[in-house]
Amino acid sequence: MKFRKLKRAAGIVLSMALVLGSLAGCSGGGAQESGDGGAGSPNQAGSGGGKQAMGRFLEEDVTLPIVLSTVYDMKKLEDGTIRILGDNGDNGARTIWDSKDSGVNWEKAFDVPAEIQDQGDGYVDHAALSSDGQSIWAYNKIEDDAITQILYLVSKDGEVSQVPFELPDAKGGSSKSFEDGEETGDGGAGMVKNMVLDLCFLDPGQVLLKDISDIIYQINVGDGSVAHTYDFSGAEDTHQIYMAGNKLVVATSTEVLVYDTETGEQQQTEEALQKSVSESGMLTAVDTVDAGESIYCLTGNGLYHYKFGGSVMEQLIDGTMNTLGAPAFYPIALTMLDEENYMVAATDLNSDALGGITLLRYTWSADTPAKPDKELKVYSLYNNRELRQSVSKFQKEHTDVYVNYQVAMSEENGMTVSDALKTLTTEIMAGKGPDLMLLDGMPIKTYMEKGILKDITSLFQEDSGSYFENIRKAYQDSEGKVYAAPARFFIPMAQGGGAYYTPEEDFASFTSKQGVLANMQPETVVEKFWYSCGASWQKEDNTLDAEKVTEFLSQLKNAYGEYNGSAIEDTTAVAISEGGAVNELQKVSLSWGDFDLAFGRVNVNVGLYGRMDYGMLDAVNKKLGQGDYGLMPGQAEGVFVPAMVIGVSSKSAQPETAEAFVKYLFSPQAQKVSQLGGFPVEKESFRSMVDGHEYDNRDSDMRLMAGGSAAGSDEMLSYEMVPTPEEDIQKITKMVESFSVPALQDDVIKESVVEQGAKVLKGELSPEEATDAIMQKVNIYLAE
Amino acid sequence: MDIEVLKEWPTKWLRRAHVGKAALWGILAALGLAALYPVFFLISGSFMGKDELGEYLGAVISGSHGYAHFPLLPAYPTLRHYVEVFLDSPGFFVMFWNSVKITFGVLAGQLVVGTMAAWGFAKHEFPWKKGFFLLYLILMLLPFQVLMLSNYLVLDKLALTDNLWGIILPGIFSTFPVFIMYRFFRELPDSLLESARLDGAREWQLFFYIGLPIGSSGVIAAMALGFLEYWSLIEQPLTFLKERRLFPLSIFLPDITSVSQSGMAFAASAITFVPALLVFLGGQDYLEQGIMAGAVKE
Amino acid sequence: MHGSGKDYREKLKKAPSKDHGNGKRWRGALWILPSFLGVLVFYLLPYADVARRSFFGAVDNQFVGLANYQAILGNTAFRLAVKNTVKFTLICVPTLVLLALACAVVLYQSKYGGVIKSAFLMPMALPAVSVALVWRLLFHSQGLFNYWISHFGMEGRDWMNGQGAFWILVGSYIWKNLGYDIVLWMAGLSGISENIYEAAKVDGAGEWKCFLKITLPNLKPSLYTITVLSFLNSFKVFREAYLVAGDYPHEGIYMMQHLFNNWFRAFSFDKMAAAAVLESGVLLVLILLLQKAWDSGVE
Repeated sequence: MKFRKLKRAAGIVLSMALVLGSLAGCSGGGAQESGDGGAGSPNQAGSGGGKQAMGRFLEEDVTLPIVLSTVYDMKKLEDGTIRILGDNGDNGARTIWDSKDSGVNWEKAFDVPAEIQDQGDGYVDHAALSSDGQSIWAYNKIEDDAITQILYLVSKDGEVSQVPFELPDAKGGSSKSFEDGEETGDGGAGMVKNMVLDLCFLDPGQVLLKDISDIIYQINVGDGSVAHTYDFSGAEDTHQIYMAGNKLVVATSTEVLVYDTETGEQQQTEEALQKSVSESGMLTAVDTVDAGESIYCLTGNGLYHYKFGGSVMEQLIDGTMNTLGAPAFYPIALTMLDEENYMVAATDLNSDALGGITLLRYTWSADTPAKPDKELKVYSLYNNRELRQSVSKFQKEHTDVYVNYQVAMSEENGMTVSDALKTLTTEIMAGKGPDLMLLDGMPIKTYMEKGILKDITSLFQEDSGSYFENIRKAYQDSEGKVYAAPARFFIPMAQGGGAYYTPEEDFASFTSKQGVLANMQPETVVEKFWYSCGASWQKEDNTLDAEKVTEFLSQLKNAYGEYNGSAIEDTTAVAISEGGAVNELQKVSLSWGDFDLAFGRVNVNVGLYGRMDYGMLDAVNKKLGQGDYGLMPGQAEGVFVPAMVIGVSSKSAQPETAEAFVKYLFSPQAQKVSQLGGFPVEKESFRSMVDGHEYDNRDSDMRLMAGGSAAGSDEMLSYEMVPTPEEDIQKITKMVESFSVPALQDDVIKESVVEQGAKVLKGELSPEEATDAIMQKVNIYLAE
Repeated sequence: MDIEVLKEWPTKWLRRAHVGKAALWGILAALGLAALYPVFFLISGSFMGKDELGEYLGAVISGSHGYAHFPLLPAYPTLRHYVEVFLDSPGFFVMFWNSVKITFGVLAGQLVVGTMAAWGFAKHEFPWKKGFFLLYLILMLLPFQVLMLSNYLVLDKLALTDNLWGIILPGIFSTFPVFIMYRFFRELPDSLLESARLDGAREWQLFFYIGLPIGSSGVIAAMALGFLEYWSLIEQPLTFLKERRLFPLSIFLPDITSVSQSGMAFAASAITFVPALLVFLGGQDYLEQGIMAGAVKE
Repeated sequence: MHGSGKDYREKLKKAPSKDHGNGKRWRGALWILPSFLGVLVFYLLPYADVARRSFFGAVDNQFVGLANYQAILGNTAFRLAVKNTVKFTLICVPTLVLLALACAVVLYQSKYGGVIKSAFLMPMALPAVSVALVWRLLFHSQGLFNYWISHFGMEGRDWMNGQGAFWILVGSYIWKNLGYDIVLWMAGLSGISENIYEAAKVDGAGEWKCFLKITLPNLKPSLYTITVLSFLNSFKVFREAYLVAGDYPHEGIYMMQHLFNNWFRAFSFDKMAAAAVLESGVLLVLILLLQKAWDSGVE
């Protein structure tokens, strides 16, 4: 019987696989072990040698006055200016910014001409800079359901001209199918003849572009004529193009090819470059000096320098000690400012920044030991931008400390919080745990009770006047001891028109208005109100008060009204949340509902508020007629949401360093850092974050804000960027001072409440049934 | 429908048996289909485009109204997700190789250590043998969670955490294959060994030239079971490995709650399934033969 | 026959005598030595550590005597987990073993048995994460299962969050292990000599009688192996339960491993250790009972 034969065959395959596999397993594993033994941690390596090597590159974030949502290219121009091409995250405008002082201060050069801005008829994916400040833009114009490529040349000062070059159709069948579609008249959108997938400026006056079939065209900008083509259309691997003087460097995941752009001929393989690809992966960004004789390039292992014809790649920056080696870090451009300064623009999927765009600067510090001898391990579940910032600053001041910041959860690994905490537990028990923890999302109470956290009361004795003590000492126990302290916080806030919301309203009267919360996502509504209500549910004996839970759910249901799935999908909040990587607290932020409120899709906007955006608040209020904002109504009074809760491990090997870092995190210097992670607990920093002083000297030019991507409409809400009026500063400060209770930080309870609560709002369960389900789970949890 | 089978039985049973048999076969067929459905579901889903999956499963994945539904075959089959998994997620290969290393590392070790132990238990006498065997049995039945922390501490002492060996070594000394192979070796008639001994064979020769060849089906059975176990290992890697580059395939599950990833989850599942399936189909016959050895004792 | 000294020595080894010391008696143990050393390091030492911990506090390492045992025995979560685990095992293992036997007997008589058996085996090769994926899509409140039953006019519900969760777990255990057990039973069946049946048929025994008088008694030895293996596999269903329903599933499927996991995360090593020691004690008794039953079965 055939089937039997098949099985026999499979059996043979199996046994062969066993033998082969066992060899592979052993050799692979063996290499693994020796690798581990060799590298060691920076800690050990540093203390091993007698004399320490000095000098290291330190990393810091570069901030522009605006937030960029896309970066196309970045380059150091001939005159020393650093120029960057990007999109303004606030309004989507394509813009060019310059820095004359190596990336410290930035100013806008100009917004690119209207032809290249998104105008509904096209968009830009790629652009590149030349060293004399010109830029080339590949505009994908959508015409008659098809995309045509137009190349625009923008001069150093912003004059635009079109390059008379027509991109030939891609090799392969796509152009044919397009024509077929045209004939029958049903050619859908997205028919693509060809597109530019990579773009490089080849000085002077030429550009290189790669199309979808991996053919590279070398074009004269002046007349659009093609000087050379490099055809890789047969290959499976994708080809990235970089320039080095007159050399074209083509990188794939397996090789690096070098071409002479004057002759179009391939040059000798650079063995050292080739070797680096097999060792540390594809080149991800390249910058060049000495007329292309040597290059600087990034790989997953860090920053390297290579001189053509040389025998080695020299590692300048070790990626393991900074963001360069981070898993979801994709460099866009590398710029060598000088021998001791480098800038990198990248998409960092682990960052919370808009589009993940990150600008980093690496500065040589000669008096920093090459390998710091102390390692401070910092751990958090979710990436914390403020902490990341503080880490590099702290390291700068304490050059003997290597702060190893580990984030457990990321987009890429499918790890759950529970898995992450389990790993953390094992490490702590084995004495290999972190020294410092950001306790956001962790069972803080349990950790305090089990003695995992160190008593850090002494750090919080001084300066009580300059902090919001009600928040900073929120986790103080009955004996006045502090084991965990929030460095930041969010305000549960609500905004709405007079008919639906009045500040200071209590939960019962707010929710008695039927439909006041209509058209919001059920899960987020429950989660938002969980923050303002959950704190009142816990009884003396640590169990939950079932009556309060039922009351919460039934009142919320009343306020929510009928579930309307299609109305929810129209809201902006939904559109944003589908956009990908989202931080836990961002999902419930107030600012996501601005447009929905202003344009009547929802009646009130509720959520957590972590950065004062007075212009927006005011604009929405004005649009509503008589809108106002205030604390979110809730069953509990005076609730705030702690963020960046810091604790030191009781098993930390270097408590002094850990405490020094804690102190630093609460210092005004670190508190002033703002990356949407909440308001600082230090009063000065809080005020400077709230008052909008950065708009002080600005012209009163109105800035237009477009929104409502989900609705697909051209909703515009004009709003003024002005300093916050003193009245509003006072109002919000009063709110903060009124806080007394940290929101219940317990993911198990929260998850259960959100899950069941959403079902109540959707009408699938009655509040009583949901309460039973919640209590059932939570009771097991609390009994453990 | 099954005349041949029925023929073997006396004619007077034929009619009564016929009805009963038909019912039984009906039940069996239904059970078989139920067993196959999820497999089919995964494979079929892995060939569906993003839009198609979104349409069928939208109710579950993105919370739109109504119920999810799922046809048996994709309307517009595509290999897109496979391409995505293979080309666009470089991590996938790393994970695949990690899985291969773990699985075959463990199996290779078990092949040496486990067979020897099974041979020892089956064909040699020593004091407290029964006690030792009992101990092995209990260790085999202890859930992983029980020893998790202490296990970690031991591995930590040996500097094996965050190292594939930290998964492989405990796997090698798992007592489960010993239990399986023990029964195969027991089957070997002692008289055979006796006569070999009389012919001057050494103990290791007995093991290599008599034990292993005759018990080979048992060894393969144990290996097949071991393969399944270590190919879909979850708890150990999650606990003992921290570096993502060491993660095996079994803990790779793209977030299915987003429509964009569900296709990849299907494809990755299908890819993970295939080697396990081959091994199982291949090892199945040996499994039978071997278990039989243990079952018809003496 | 060849009276060489070597042969003589070999014989001596076979029949241990008093004048040869312990060394000889332990020689057989050399075979298990490598394995035992590994077991010692990776299983016994950790177990000893667990046993020690069961008498100490979780993080402070203070000796607390039997307090941990007292604590868990009065712990409602522990009781619930024990109850569910015992209930699950008592329902699952016998059901699976019997169902597999029934299938095996039928399949064994058919020439298509092999093919069908392979169909039953497929689920076993599915990785747990994939199973969890399918389960989630099937038993979601808007999932496929509800879609099917809505055709029969039945109201859908959230299966994983109701009493149904337990039965889904039972079902998934049987679904996953049925093929495996069928193979084991069929192996047992093939070990029964045809001659016995022939003889019985000559004596005029019917099919049912043959089954009762010949098949069943002859399968008794297989029962032990199959039960132990089925029992072992019943622990593995936790993977799916965990992947589908997380740390706190419906109370009906809250098992010992959930509790262990949660205790672990919350640094409750004291309770965990005590529970582990109790559990291994129960396992010991169970195995001894099974072995006794088996030994009496095959005299």
